[in-house]
Amino acid sequence: MTSIDIDALKNIFGHLKRIMDENREMLIELDSVMGDGDLGITMQKAFTAAHTEVQGFTGKESGQLLLKAGMKIAQAAPSTMGTLVAMGFMKGGKSILKTEEISLSELSVFFRAFANGIMDAGKTKPGNKTIIDALDPAAKALEEASVEGKNVADGIQMAYTAAREGVENTKSMKAQHGRAAYYQEKSIGVTDAGATVAALILKGFYLGVRE
Amino acid sequence: MKKIMNKAEDFVDEMIEGILAANPGELATVADDLRCVVNKNKMAGKVGIATGGGSGHLPLFLGYVGDGMLDGCSVGGVFQSPSSVQMLEVTKAIDQGAGVLYIYGNYGGDILNFDMAAEMADVEGIRVEQVVAGEDVASGPKGEESKRRGVAGIFYVYKIAGAKAAELATLDEVKRVAAKAAANVRTMGVALSPCIVPEVGKPSFTLNEDEMEIGMGIHGEPGIRRGKLKPADGIVDEMLIPILDDLPYVRGDEVSVLINGLGATPKEELYIMYRWVGQVLAEKGIKVFKVYIGEFATSMEMAGASISLIKLDDELRDLLSKPAHTPFFEQKQL
Repeated sequence: MTSIDIDALKNIFGHLKRIMDENREMLIELDSVMGDGDLGITMQKAFTAAHTEVQGFTGKESGQLLLKAGMKIAQAAPSTMGTLVAMGFMKGGKSILKTEEISLSELSVFFRAFANGIMDAGKTKPGNKTIIDALDPAAKALEEASVEGKNVADGIQMAYTAAREGVENTKSMKAQHGRAAYYQEKSIGVTDAGATVAALILKGFYLGVRE
Repeated sequence: MKKIMNKAEDFVDEMIEGILAANPGELATVADDLRCVVNKNKMAGKVGIATGGGSGHLPLFLGYVGDGMLDGCSVGGVFQSPSSVQMLEVTKAIDQGAGVLYIYGNYGGDILNFDMAAEMADVEGIRVEQVVAGEDVASGPKGEESKRRGVAGIFYVYKIAGAKAAELATLDEVKRVAAKAAANVRTMGVALSPCIVPEVGKPSFTLNEDEMEIGMGIHGEPGIRRGKLKPADGIVDEMLIPILDDLPYVRGDEVSVLINGLGATPKEELYIMYRWVGQVLAEKGIKVFKVYIGEFATSMEMAGASISLIKLDDELRDLLSKPAHTPFFEQKQL
């Protein structure tokens, strides 16, 4: 596969919905350690709504589809993490708005805008034990893969691997944001729930592109 | 917990229902959502001004929706941000083609949701600009102003921006005066007793009978010093001096002063505070143009007060002087 078209995106959102359904309890448990435990419910709502929106999309522009998915997530999941993920899809979608078939370099632009959008909105940076600690390495991996001239499937596989490594790395970090920040020292050793969501999103892209 | 309410989970909605019922000609809701409140009275071609924030602070935030001030407000649960979709619905309802200015306090949840609403408004073709108020000098040192929380001083930003918008100024002009007002306001608070969020049912912190906390935020955020309650003049000194030193406000300046009660402190005490504020300012050669005393930004049944100062120039004084009429604030031309 050299690019991601509308059908491939629809397939990706099918995977994302299923992944969030399957991981609902895992995310609830992870979030309950230091958050309020609603993350699994939020993400299930978010990607169920996004999936429905995307399947009904009749346009040609992939960027537009991703933007619409973001708007739908904002409506369906108005919690902090829901809004951050929505912001990521919206900023990412806008960054490649007119693109019809997404090349690897455009995919790297999308995920860079996705990560930066969340950093701006959430006023955070890498190393604070957040979703960014999986998203930023994934965006970097895509940028590198794009420079190296890799194909889309290999690039997204590298990004997914980088995101999973990023999730592992959050264990050694101290929480700085949200309710988890109250547990600063105690948060060491615990995987960040937001970063886990980012890795699941990358997994959806990886599975959708591989087929 | 001792509150006049029905069910805790209905606290916010029933409060809004009461406000709407009491002001039928002035306020309306949009998008079939009680939490999206707008001014019924529209002025064609005017820049729309929206705010939003958690409940529990009346008259903040929706109390300033009215003529000469704000056009709309999204209302969150007690101490919770409204959603970005509610903010977007208000934005759509108040845009008249001239764009919309968001003015809100510097809190993470509100910033995130207003940023998101601005993104969505952009997709809908509505131009949005934002001014974030953060003037509580206790919540961030000089040089780190961006950390400061927005408290009662946001009243001045609403008033001044609202007056400018009523002159049918452009969005850029309204934003400029709002930012100018925000840059010239400073506030400091003191808490004497905690507040109770209805759905929580107990205080989020405790203060002993003989204690006060200088610099505490309007959600009970930690202040800068907890100690024995002092006489009024001493409390005022602890609040006013950091305010004066921060901007700084100096001899020859002209200011407006806002003494704000946090919910459970009687007006008598606020006037006892102002007595000393006025004397200190006179002694320092700072001229007082207009004094506001009462409840402008509360924290449920918290006892305590805040002092806000805004430094005025001709433009800000002129805009502050303009009339305004909302369910919670009434001013004739000064």
